Amino acid sequence: VKDKLLASPLDLDPFLSDDRRLDNALTRRIDAEPENVQRGLAQLVLTIVELLRQLMERQALRRIDGGALTEEQVERLGRTFMELDQRMEELRAEFGLEPEDLNLDLGPLGRLL
Amino acid sequence: VIELYAVTREAAAPRPPLRAVACGGLTAVCGPATEREVTPEVLWEHEEVVEELMEQCNLLPFRFGTRVVDEAAAAHAVGARRDELLISLDRVRGAVELAVRARRRAGAGDAPTSSGSKYMDRRARDLGAARLLHEPLAFLARDSVLGGGPDLLRAAYLVDRETTERFVALVRRLQQSHPDLDVLCTGPWPPYSFADAKETT
Repeated sequence: VKDKLLASPLDLDPFLSDDRRLDNALTRRIDAEPENVQRGLAQLVLTIVELLRQLMERQALRRIDGGALTEEQVERLGRTFMELDQRMEELRAEFGLEPEDLNLDLGPLGRLL
Repeated sequence: VIELYAVTREAAAPRPPLRAVACGGLTAVCGPATEREVTPEVLWEHEEVVEELMEQCNLLPFRFGTRVVDEAAAAHAVGARRDELLISLDRVRGAVELAVRARRRAGAGDAPTSSGSKYMDRRARDLGAARLLHEPLAFLARDSVLGGGPDLLRAAYLVDRETTERFVALVRRLQQSHPDLDVLCTGPWPPYSFADAKETT
């Protein structure tokens, strides 16, 4: 594995959380229990919500950049996105999903997020 | 049942028990499929096979776990997608895939905030930082694919073999000019992210 590192920070640990995710993905693949079906549905719904969240956030950032919003409006927008972000995190945790799980491979269309 | 490893338009002489199956000017490299538990070690073994082939020829890797009944089925599957495979093979010729990930450095991380405007500031800063990393890297690369997830940047770059060193040097320079980030570059990988004809930025 080491010889695949072309340039790396001194502390690799934050990047290695992926190993655990890989294990999850590998075991999940062959598991078709009913609760996993529910999870699959949650994954799908949360992916769509995450897509909308990101689109709206980018739109908001553009509007802030354009200077069209008052400080109070920016603060309110920011809080809304922050809360949405936290809520998403809670929901992900509830279904045992990692942030990377919230993506869809649309085949020829590429990835959703 | 056999497992598919890669497809190429060049003459491939894979080591037994791997076999080269020719179909319409393309060659699919396949091997016996074994029933076993999928572990990271198994993935690495598969990876090593593909990388050894990559030393011999330009190829498109199959997704791990791609299986067909027999060699005739392999030839049929490859033949049916011949045109798009040829396009993709042209695209990756002489190039390798390099992966880059960036995160905000631990400790330099942001204290939790309850301020909405501060939150938006950070989001803008992170998106901006990702752009500052990605744009020069994408400029050196033939092609690139951005991934999702919690990383500030997670991307795959299709880079000419002879440009690899320059690319890595650029990653190092970007790391130096962004001391608040951790930047990781791995490879060279088979062009997994560029194996589909249309999946491109």
